[in-house]
Amino acid sequence: MKKVNWIVVIAGALVGLAAVLLTALGNPANMGFCIACFLRDIAGACSLHGAAKVQYVRPEIIGLVLGSFIMALVKGEFRAKGGSSPATRFVLGAFVMIGALAFLGCPLRMVIRLGGGDLNALVALIGFTIGIFIGVQFMKRGFSLRRNYTLGVTEGTILPVLMLGLLILVVAVPSLFKFSEAGPGSKFAPFFAALGIALVVGALAQRSRLCMVGGIRDGMMFGDFKLLYGFVAIFAVVLVGNLITGHFNLGFAGQPVAHSDHVWNLLGMLLVGWGSVLLGGCPLRQLILAGEGNSDSTVTVFGMIAGAAFAHNFGLAGVAASADAAGGVPTAGRIAVVIGIVFVLAVSLLNMPKKADA
Amino acid sequence: MNDYIATFHTHLAAIMAHRALSALNISARMMPVPRALSSSCGTCVRYSAEDANTQAMGEDCESVFMVHPGKKEEYELIYSQE
Repeated sequence: MKKVNWIVVIAGALVGLAAVLLTALGNPANMGFCIACFLRDIAGACSLHGAAKVQYVRPEIIGLVLGSFIMALVKGEFRAKGGSSPATRFVLGAFVMIGALAFLGCPLRMVIRLGGGDLNALVALIGFTIGIFIGVQFMKRGFSLRRNYTLGVTEGTILPVLMLGLLILVVAVPSLFKFSEAGPGSKFAPFFAALGIALVVGALAQRSRLCMVGGIRDGMMFGDFKLLYGFVAIFAVVLVGNLITGHFNLGFAGQPVAHSDHVWNLLGMLLVGWGSVLLGGCPLRQLILAGEGNSDSTVTVFGMIAGAAFAHNFGLAGVAASADAAGGVPTAGRIAVVIGIVFVLAVSLLNMPKKADA
Repeated sequence: MNDYIATFHTHLAAIMAHRALSALNISARMMPVPRALSSSCGTCVRYSAEDANTQAMGEDCESVFMVHPGKKEEYELIYSQE
């Protein structure tokens, strides 16, 4: 059962290629794709937060959801399902986002940063793996957010329809939205190129079940490394792409949209890993599942958007290092990460089976 | 003796079914649901037995498939809750 699942490897390689391409076309460095950053930018564009440097309607998010939606429809795999502890998932999604924004990246961007030589992402990977390991211990002992149920078709189409609406609005009436004039939000690949690339990536991610958490989780839980090959393929392609284009820069210092606050990079991604195991997938996977009709994942995505708004409205997000400042995670952000870890611990403990069940 | 794969609504239900099958001395193991069976990423139980033992699967069992071996395995749906 250790055979390589080629669709996962191909999907991973293409995600890596897409990331390199999107950066070359204008996305911020080491940020070809970042689900956390891009949801935060969308939150900012919709004035849900006021951080002027991170406001842009990222077509990558729209493309990922719609790509998954279209592929699921074509393959007859669209299923409207939900009802598995939605409120808990909303808050878990928010804290996963707060953890990711402390580090400045979702698990996908962590892999992309690693491929750029950013060793801060290696510290984050250690935290992420520890978080997954803790989550897996609860899973093995029966942690459950309870089952989902078949729902009406409209419930499953909420996020794809919202994304389509956002697409129409941003194209037809861009003045509704805020767009950064400086900072990461001001750097972007051409809109329709990014949308097209993300549609393909979303469709492939739906076919392959690509997930940054799933690979490590399945490896720990079942000795099954199929999904991990996708993770490795992304890293390998991004690494080669950066070496070819001369963007590979090994070290902790001087990394784009990053800081070297090691303890909080580690703890931020520990929160992301643990929370994502409880949610059943990384932020990318949540977008893909929402696209194929899972309304629990839709609620999780809403939670992540709310988390991004909180992160910037309350000064929780990590501050990137610059020429004159070391950056790092502000005190409020550190407190929020600790509260997040306490929250995932409480959710883990309070959703264990009763003695009679186990 | 046939191979079967049972899928569940929750990971916990898979753990319980795995225990129930093991108590019946049926060789069973937990693994990720094969992609061919689902686009979601749940846990399934694969086991070898004379019959499907659906009674041991519990109320949160979603479906049971018989595995037809071959170069590429095929799965035949033999029980579905819905």
